[in-house]
Amino acid sequence: MSGSYDVVIIGGGISGMMAAVALAEKGRKVAVISKGDPVCCFSTGCIDVLADGDDPLNGLGSLPDNHPYHLVGEDAVAKALELFRDIMSEEGMPYVGDVHVNRRVLTSLGRSKVTCLVPETMEFADFDPDEYIHVISFYKMKDFYPQYITSRYTNADYSIFDPGVITTAGIAEKFENRPFLEKFIFWLRDLDIPEGRIAVPAVLGRSLAGDVYHQVSAGCGRKIFEIPTMPPSMPGLRLFGGLKKALLRKGVNLYWGRGIYSVEKLGNRIEAVTLASAGRTTRVEGKAFILATGSFVSGGLQAFMDTVTETVFDLPTYLPGSRGTWFNDDFFAPGHEIEKAGIRVDSSFRPVETEIDNLHVCGSILAFSEVMKHRCGNGMAIATGVAAAQACGGLV
Amino acid sequence: MIKTDVIIIGGGSTGCGVARDLALRGIPHCLIEKGDFAAGATGACHGLLHSGARYVVNDSEAAAECISENMIMRKIGVKCVEQTGGLFVRLPGDSKRFRDMFLKSCEQTGISAEVLSPSRALDLVHNLNPSLEEAIKVPDCSIDPFRLCMLNITSSQKRGGQILTHNRVIDIIKEHGRCVGVKVQEESTSEFKEIRGKIIINAAGAWGDNIASLAGSTVPMTLSKGSLIVTNHRLTNMVINRLRPSSDGDIIVPNEAVCLAGTTSITVTDPDENEVDPAEVDIIATQAQQLLPEFGTTRLIRTYAGVRPLLKADGGDDRKISRSFKIIDHKNGMFSIMGGKLTTYRLMAEKISDRVMEALGLKTRCRTAELPLEGQEELSGYPLSKRLKTMENIVCECELVTTDAVERVAGKIGTRRIGDIQHRTRLGMGPCQGGFCTYRALGIMQETGKMTPEESRRILREFLQRRFKGIKPALWGDQLREEQLIESIYLGILGMEQEQ
Ligand SMILES: Cc1cc2nc3c(=O)[nH]c(=O)nc-3n(C[C@H](O)[C@H](O)[C@H](O)COP(=O)(O)OP(=O)(O)OC[C@H]3O[C@@H](n4cnc5c(N)ncnc54)[C@H](O)[C@@H]3O)c2cc1C
Ligand SMILES: Cc1cc2nc3c(=O)[nH]c(=O)nc-3n(C[C@H](O)[C@H](O)[C@H](O)COP(=O)(O)OP(=O)(O)OC[C@H]3O[C@@H](n4cnc5c(N)ncnc54)[C@H](O)[C@@H]3O)c2cc1C
Repeated sequence: MSGSYDVVIIGGGISGMMAAVALAEKGRKVAVISKGDPVCCFSTGCIDVLADGDDPLNGLGSLPDNHPYHLVGEDAVAKALELFRDIMSEEGMPYVGDVHVNRRVLTSLGRSKVTCLVPETMEFADFDPDEYIHVISFYKMKDFYPQYITSRYTNADYSIFDPGVITTAGIAEKFENRPFLEKFIFWLRDLDIPEGRIAVPAVLGRSLAGDVYHQVSAGCGRKIFEIPTMPPSMPGLRLFGGLKKALLRKGVNLYWGRGIYSVEKLGNRIEAVTLASAGRTTRVEGKAFILATGSFVSGGLQAFMDTVTETVFDLPTYLPGSRGTWFNDDFFAPGHEIEKAGIRVDSSFRPVETEIDNLHVCGSILAFSEVMKHRCGNGMAIATGVAAAQACGGLV
Repeated sequence: MIKTDVIIIGGGSTGCGVARDLALRGIPHCLIEKGDFAAGATGACHGLLHSGARYVVNDSEAAAECISENMIMRKIGVKCVEQTGGLFVRLPGDSKRFRDMFLKSCEQTGISAEVLSPSRALDLVHNLNPSLEEAIKVPDCSIDPFRLCMLNITSSQKRGGQILTHNRVIDIIKEHGRCVGVKVQEESTSEFKEIRGKIIINAAGAWGDNIASLAGSTVPMTLSKGSLIVTNHRLTNMVINRLRPSSDGDIIVPNEAVCLAGTTSITVTDPDENEVDPAEVDIIATQAQQLLPEFGTTRLIRTYAGVRPLLKADGGDDRKISRSFKIIDHKNGMFSIMGGKLTTYRLMAEKISDRVMEALGLKTRCRTAELPLEGQEELSGYPLSKRLKTMENIVCECELVTTDAVERVAGKIGTRRIGDIQHRTRLGMGPCQGGFCTYRALGIMQETGKMTPEESRRILREFLQRRFKGIKPALWGDQLREEQLIESIYLGILGMEQEQ
């Protein structure tokens, strides 16, 4: 259905959705257009702010001058993260953590990932290596091998439960089934696990994690936490689901599963976009637009043999050099040059070197964000999303 | 110490072919390969069972060998040869004179060549460059080099042939000026072994001169590196060639779920030189796009390079060197077999085995052209879709490899090497190039106790590093996108960068 809005957000990732929430809370009429589901669905569900140092918020000052965090400012980053936590709590998925403290979560390979805010199911994932850890695994589960964890800790063991299915999503679905959950809790209690913590791959429900988690921990009387898995990642999907529900509750209009077909411009302004769909066309009109289409993974940016382009408005795109320099030889080196590619913006998140006045850009499509290098993915997306919303909120 | 009659050095198509040939003639033998089967040029090749048409104008001897072997392989290797047929496509500007010579030479050599109008060619391969002038249909096929080696080895093992993979020949033992054995070293344990035999066959491909020099001889070779690109899906069901004198990037071969485009030809001095230069990728991609315009927007999932063991030529273009082969009798108990093609591996094996029989004073004749390759009953045939029905517990979604298949192979050959699993199951050969399934396969292997969790994590790290090396030269478009996803998974979710 065609429509007319105060702000039209293109891209339904964590960045675009946070921008939508911020604007809707200010009473703006908002639409979000998204071609597909975003990258946060693949993520651990944890909010990385900045991995370097113990205090991520304080660390922002030491980032390179052109990093998008500087356009937001420390206080506004903290406020944006606070808004995020409020929203997720309202949706029954509280996050724990402190924006001034980095914490660790255990990975499926038995390593630890540095992050900042975590879903409550990972509250106890930062543990003392001397403490006893009991890993629960599932029979023939494809993406989880408990030995990877127990082999790294002297004080650890594992047990295997047979859920009858082998995929992460399949097991998570079973946990939303009452009799299954009870059977599992019964089995867990029967194991007589020594004093310590219990770690489970993140399969405690697809969307109802809170309920399942609390019942399991009450049932076994131990501190229990989830370990993020490879995609499909349940905590990532829960994060996405929570935000989407919040948008709907706040009256944001969603145009999901469709990309942009054409753009209407008048002078220095974007008037409307038309959506790609079979048959009739949908025209979405806005006073202001926010571009939050993400980086390469989501298709906001596209690389060709020797160039990188922005896919909706064909905005000028920063490119770090010729193709030979895009990647290091070492796969594991933190941050390849290509991560710098993206859209450069001014202090109100408007793309530079364009004539357009009513367009703002946020999230991982921003130039110099270097998400993997600084480990700031979801945090930077939230902060710039809310900041871009504020920048255009004043205009409409 | 192992005692045998014939020692074969090299487990590429040539060495594996010799092992089968000798086995069928009842000759005890031992094959030594420093890596897995097909670790050299064989595994890095284009997978084209030549009709001979590619060489017909300038190298009629090689072309004649190709067409007769092509006809034999179709019969004996139904499960590793796919009878795709091939087209030679002439684009605007390509020489008409060359085309006339091509047709005439095909006729003289006995390669069937049917001239197709553009519309008939487009009926066969709908995504060909529509501005083509014409196409010529020839009996090219696609062949799976890994399977080919495994099947040849099956015949050898059935008859008591000894096969030592992951063992490197480090010395040749000579007594009174004659080669009487070799000294080998096992890859992971570094243990030494001695193998004694009456005759040594040097089938070490591009490494042939290194082996010959251990016995104080030389083999005159030119090493020519060629690079290839793998696409994420099967763009064409026929082999597509450019109708012009051999040049860079003028062949596209379908191979199960993917296509291979190539190749280049660069003289190198080191047989281990297998770096792909991004400039080579650009050339191949640009040329392939001229044949199949869709290539320009197709996801390229990997690049790789191999070194062709060509007979020595006096300067000039490597492409002009004959693709025929040669047997060298070093007159000290060692024979070298050099040059040739994957396509002609059986013929090469036959000729060298004849020489061995002569040297041993025996007369049993060669039977490799009459008997089907053994072990094919156990293999699923093409196409992939047929395999779908019987499968559950899939570890590798791209190539539909099951948990059970990984457990079976790991158990049967007792391997600790992920490459061995990949070659035997096609795990990780599809669009994701092992990005997801290698983690799983290694998880399963350490669970069965074949390796420790520490080893398995180390192998995963090495694998990802190697995989990246193959992908890096062609990283743009959708593949760059996939690569960023894989990077975020291993670094962002699993914390793999902390692994040393
Ligand atoms: C595997 C993985 C794991 C990660 N783990 C973590 C983690 O644990 N913690 C963390 O903080 N960060 C993590 N990150 C990074 C983080 O998730 C991302 O940086 C962040 O989610 C990006 O959000 P975004 O809103 O900028 O863009 P995206 O999430 O990429 O969203 C862009 C949206 O735009 C849509 N879109 C694109 N083009 C169009 C178009 N033309 N028209 C309409 N819509 C369009 C897409 O469909 C998509 O929904 C991870 C990333 C990956 C890939
Ligand atoms: C890019 C490229 C594309 C090609 N495309 C085609 C094609 O489409 N069709 C075709 O018919 N031909 C093709 N060829 C040619 C074909 O691949 C080779 O001619 C053929 O595979 C050679 O087989 P081989 O067994 O002689 O050598 P190799 O396969 O190289 O085998 C030699 C083996 O010896 C081993 N070895 C070396 N040193 C030692 C040692 N010290 N101890 C133990 N083992 C050792 C190596 O590990 C190796 O496995 C191509 C070649 C290249 C490079």
